[in-house]
Order: sequence, then C-alpha cells, then structure tokens
Amino acid sequence: MKKVNKTVIFSMLLLIVLSGCWDNKDIDKRVLPLVIGIAKGDNHDYEVTVQIPITKSSGLMSRIVTSKAQTVSRALGEIQTNSENAVDYSQVRLVVIQRNLASNPKELKQLIKFLMTSKEIPLNAQLAFTNESTVKLLSNINNKLGVDATSLFDYFNKGVGWAPGISNTRIWEAYRSLYSYTDDLTIPVVDSGKDTVLIYKGAAALKKGRLTQTVNLDENQLINLFKNHNADGKIENVDFASVMVKRSTIRNQALIEGNTPTVTTDLKLKIDILEVHSGITNDQIKHKLEKLIEKRFYHVFNQSKKNETDLFGFGQYYRGQIPYADLKNWRTTYYPNLKVNFHAQVSSE
Amino acid sequence: MGDLVSDIQNLFSVQGDFFIGKEVKDKTAIYIMGFSTLIDLPKSNLYVRQIAAASSSVKELFTNLSDKLDTDINQLKKAILDGKLVIISEGGKHNAIVDPVSRNLTRSVTEPQSESPLQGPIDAFVEDIDINIGLIRKRLTSERLCHCSYEVGDLGSRKVSMLYVKGSVPEDLIKKVDQQIKQIDADIETVDDFNRVFGRRRFNLVSHFFQTELPNQATHSLRTNRIVLFLDNYPYALVFPHLLWDMFSPSIDRDFPSLVAYGLRALRVFGVIVNVLLPALYVAIISINPEVLKIDLALFVSESRQGIPFPALLETIIMVGLVDLILEAIVRLPKSVGPTITMVGGIILGQAMVEAKLVSTLLVIVTTAIVISGSVVSGIPNSLYIRLLRYPILIIAAIYGILGVFAGFLFIIVYLASLTSNGIPYTAFRMNRKEDAK
Repeated sequence: MKKVNKTVIFSMLLLIVLSGCWDNKDIDKRVLPLVIGIAKGDNHDYEVTVQIPITKSSGLMSRIVTSKAQTVSRALGEIQTNSENAVDYSQVRLVVIQRNLASNPKELKQLIKFLMTSKEIPLNAQLAFTNESTVKLLSNINNKLGVDATSLFDYFNKGVGWAPGISNTRIWEAYRSLYSYTDDLTIPVVDSGKDTVLIYKGAAALKKGRLTQTVNLDENQLINLFKNHNADGKIENVDFASVMVKRSTIRNQALIEGNTPTVTTDLKLKIDILEVHSGITNDQIKHKLEKLIEKRFYHVFNQSKKNETDLFGFGQYYRGQIPYADLKNWRTTYYPNLKVNFHAQVSSE
Repeated sequence: MGDLVSDIQNLFSVQGDFFIGKEVKDKTAIYIMGFSTLIDLPKSNLYVRQIAAASSSVKELFTNLSDKLDTDINQLKKAILDGKLVIISEGGKHNAIVDPVSRNLTRSVTEPQSESPLQGPIDAFVEDIDINIGLIRKRLTSERLCHCSYEVGDLGSRKVSMLYVKGSVPEDLIKKVDQQIKQIDADIETVDDFNRVFGRRRFNLVSHFFQTELPNQATHSLRTNRIVLFLDNYPYALVFPHLLWDMFSPSIDRDFPSLVAYGLRALRVFGVIVNVLLPALYVAIISINPEVLKIDLALFVSESRQGIPFPALLETIIMVGLVDLILEAIVRLPKSVGPTITMVGGIILGQAMVEAKLVSTLLVIVTTAIVISGSVVSGIPNSLYIRLLRYPILIIAAIYGILGVFAGFLFIIVYLASLTSNGIPYTAFRMNRKEDAK
C-alpha cells in the first residue's frame, strides 16, 4: 500500500514537471492580433500586416506591424520574432487580402490552403478582399475618432437584422469551395472609408480560386437568401416607396431531365412599408418589388451562368440526382443549361 | 466496615471527588457513595434520609430506594462511574444503586449553532442523547419508530443509538448496521472513528454520515428511509447513508412552494459548480486557452492583468489560499475578534492587493464568487470538502487548460460516483424502500 502511494505521488509530480507548461504565457503577456492583411510586395514577396490592439486604460488603440518575406508563414514568424511579447494568432478574426494577390488564382489558392493548414490562425476567421494597400486599410483605423481596435472585426458581425447583404465568408468555407464541384461563393470587398473605417464595395465571386465577377450588395443579399441566411432588416427602395423586409422564406424544387436541370424557386417576403408617395397602393408596391427582385435575380444568374460560377449553389440540389462521376462537370455541362423559374411573392403585414 | 465498602474505597482512592458518607439506621451503618462532581450531594442525602425516616427497616429502605438491589462489585463500580449513588449496608449484606439528584451538566435545548433554518423550527440537538431521541420521538409519534441503543468503547463507554422507521428501511441494512456497531471494539472518540466502523474509505473525503443539528431534518431523513444514529455528547444526528443530494436539499426547503424549492436547489448546484470550477477556469482561460474568449473580453482581461507580476496559477493560489485562511481563522477566533479580522482581511484582499497590482481586479471578483458560493450547501463537512476539491482541479487546469478543467471535473464526478456506504451509492438520489441494501 505504501509503495503504491509513493508511485502515485511520484508520477503526479512527474506529470507537473514533464508537462512543460510552466512557460505558458498568460494572456497579458501575449499580443493578440485581430486582423491580418496580406499583399503581394514588389519583389514577388509577401507583405503581411497585422493589426494589434494595444490595451491601455485610456481606451483601445491599435498598432500596425508590417513584415515582408518570401512566404506568409515566414512573414508571420518575423513579426513573432520582432514582437516584444508572444504573438498569439488565435484571436485573428479577419484576413484581408489585397487585390494584386487575390487576382492571381494560383497564389490565392495557395494562400487559402496555407490559412487552412496553419494551426495558429483560427479557421473561422473571415476573409475579405481590398482594392487598396492593406497597410493603408489597416492604418485607417487609427485615424478615425471614436473607433476602437475591434471595429474591423465588428464591421462584419453586426448580427441578424443589421446589414444582411454583407457576405460572410470564413476561411474554411473558402477552402471547401476550392474543392467543391457544385458550390461557389462570394468574398466581400472593402476599402478604407472617409468617415467610417470601411466602405463596402460589393463582393467578388470566387470559383475554384479564380475571381470571376463582382456582385453588389443587393445581389449578394439574394445569394445569402439562397444560403438560407435571413433577409430581415433589409431595406429596399422601389421607385415610389421604401420598404423593410420583415421575414423571408425560400423554397427550391430541383428537377433534371437529360442534361437540362430545372429549379423552381419561390421566395416569399413579408414587408413593412416605411415611406410611400401619396396615391400609391400597397399592391402597386408589392408588384413593383416582385418585379425588381426577379429582375435582379436573373441579372446575376445570367451573368454567373456565363462565367460558369454557381454562385447560388444550385448544384447542391443535384448532388443526389447526378451520378458522382458526372458531378465534377456540373459547372461546364449542366450549369449553362440550368433553367430557373424564380418567383418572388411579396406580402405586407 | 465491610469488605465491599473498603474494596470500592480502594478502587477509587485516587479520585479526589469520590465521596463516601455514613448514616445509621436501626443501629446499622449504611454507606452512601458516589462522585460529588456528578451528584448533587446535599439534595441526594436529604432524599435518602427522608426515605430512611419513612422506612421501618434497613431492608425496606433499600427496596424503597431502588429496584437494583444486591448486585456485584463490577456493576457497582460502573454505576458509580455513571454518576449513580451507591448505598451499601454495613458488612456488605445489602447494596442498592440509586438514581440520585444529578448535577445539571447538560444544556437545555437551544437554537442551532451551525445551521440557520429560515422560517422553520429553531430547536436543535444537544449533547444529551436522551433529549435528542426525545426530540425525534416528539415529532414522529409512531410505533414503527424503532430505537436500538448500544454502549461501545474500551476506555470510556459511549452510548450509541440507532433510530429507524420499521418497514421503510431495508431489513438487511438494519441488520448490517446493527452488526457493525456491535463489532466496535475500539474507543469512538470522534465521528471519523465512528465513520471507520462502516468501512474506511481510502481517500476519506466524504463521510458516511450526513450530520444535521436540526430535529426536523433528522425526522425527514427517517421518513425517507434512512437510519439516524446518535452519539452521546455529540449534538448532531448522523444520518446514514449519506447521499450527495442531501447537501442540496435540506428539509427546510419543503416549507416553501415547490417551484421556489426547486429554484433554491438549482441555485445550490450552480453554486457548487461555480465554486469548484471558477478558479480553475480563470487560470485555464488566462494562461492556456485565451482563444476561447470573445475578443472584447480577451482585451478586457488582458488589460486588467497588465503589470501583475505573478503567473495566473500563483496569483489564484495565493488568493484562494488566503480566503480559505480567513475562513478558517474566523471559525477559530472568539466572536469579539472575528469581525475585525474579517474586515481587515477584506480590505487587504480586496483593496490593497489590487491597488498594489499583486492580483488583478478580475481575480478579486472570482474570489468573491468563490467565497459566497462555497457556503450554499447544507452541512459544514460538505462545504469543506467542496472547498478542498477545487485545488486539484486548479492544478490540472494550470497544466491542461480547459481540457484539464473538464477532465478534472469528470474525475471528481467519477470519484464521487465510486463511493458507497454499505453498498448504497453516494450518488443515489433517494433510498428506495425496496432497495436491496447489499
């Protein structure tokens, strides 16, 4: 009995000593970058910028650190080396990629793969593109009054009912779409704003690492609807009225005959009329809005068909109907033939 | 002087408080003896004299005084030690053990000291075992309430009583407990000694008994198929077997509307979980897994810890240890000094340490939550062992982070689930009437 006790106590002590966790860094000894900006530098190297909030009792400010290296991981490592504290990338919430890097499909693909496989950067960080220099974009945050260090991240997380048109794309979703036969996605494009930190510049459609087209906020809203996000809180302008969407439901029915797939989509919107010119009836507004949405849909849809980019994810409905071997040809063989009967039905409360 | 008297006198020759008096009745000397510290001598003497005056002969006197007549020397010795008056006639022909007027050495029934029943009866058990059993009998007037009494021990015999409601406690459990008490050969000095009778647990964290000071709680336990044990000179009822749920649901809850009672119990469970996990979670989140925090919170925590020289584990151990020290000191200190220490301790811990940047403000909040939540359960031993449980989790959390917190919590649950008293698991919710008590 005594012997057993000694063994147990000894192994307990070993557990503490050998676990090697005594050099753990407490949270105040780490710096927590929130945003990483990645751009292509002049000499084919990567320029990585991180935004690090500085915790001082006089409100949150942030620091911009830039590093250039042959690879992204190396640049991140250099920031790590030069930093006073341990850099903990686990709180990164946004990765901004400059256009000059994003427009190169091979490098973009490589970058997304790196972000996915890197153990330090969380997979649910959001992706965004920018037309400007990432350094300028990230620095912009310090020039704005009354904006704190988390605002870049807050911009994309307003919550349900506030700005439903913005697309949220996470690293893992982008990675998944690289290999998906049937689904493409959009990544938001933001620039630094004059009065606000960011300005939304639409979203770029990403097809297997290639940017094919851009969609605006309203169109992106439709795409979000097809991905079962809600449109609550969306404000629509018809010529003579402005309305707010209170509730939205979407129903899709997918059929295939030979090589021609057909999808019937019913979109039901419940609206609240905010402003209206005199002498306009509710039915007029509804009718006009239905027309507007249908027109908008076919505009994006036809364009995406031309680009063979399945933005709405229609291919998802056919995963069970098309043989798996054929599925990889969805974008080239089936998608251009796709017919969508899109009906919008608007009702007011 | 007869042999018997001198024998007894020799036996107690070293006892300063042994008293021996002489009376004469019908020309026969009778000796009255006992301990003056246990017996009120003047009153007892008067009583004997009055009976003597009323009796015609020595023999009649003895029969009038007592029905325990002419016993042997061992029984006389024991009677004297028990505080009885022993009367022996000259020559040792007759002797009697008389119930004397005793000195009042027990306190009367007062309010409970370690429990404070809110809106309930406020009488509490006392040291005297008979009063305690009386308090139960008064509440449970049923012929099914059985009472077995035992005397155990070597150096000083100690009275043990076992109460149960016949028909509700499994028969074989009663038999087993009965046997276990009868087998006691060593002295029962403490509750822990008594605990050992029912099977020593290797890491003895949880007792076999739930201790209560309230007769109402004990009666409720009897009603819910438990055995209640009493030790003399111990003002607590020992409810056997002890179940985990006891500490969350004192019987006083039943006086409230059921929804309120459920709320109170949920609150206690929550309090225990907070008490065990909170310091560990603090350490785990601060030093190992800051990524689980939402960014705003992470920045806030990081800011509140700026400039603190200790690592989170050391900081937490210092604070939690200090708080436990204060709690222990308050118990030991006289009531007049206690509040001062509390105040000084509170100011030092809360104010000075934060201002000196030795610990973070967040930890002070965590510590406060720990102190408060530690006392929500009923029963001081329960509260103590829960306080003890948080230290191992704290260490594991400092090594393995969040994973360690929950693995540690799991191990604690596994440990508690492994405890049994006479085959009844500690984590059982209630004792079933038909439960096989093997």
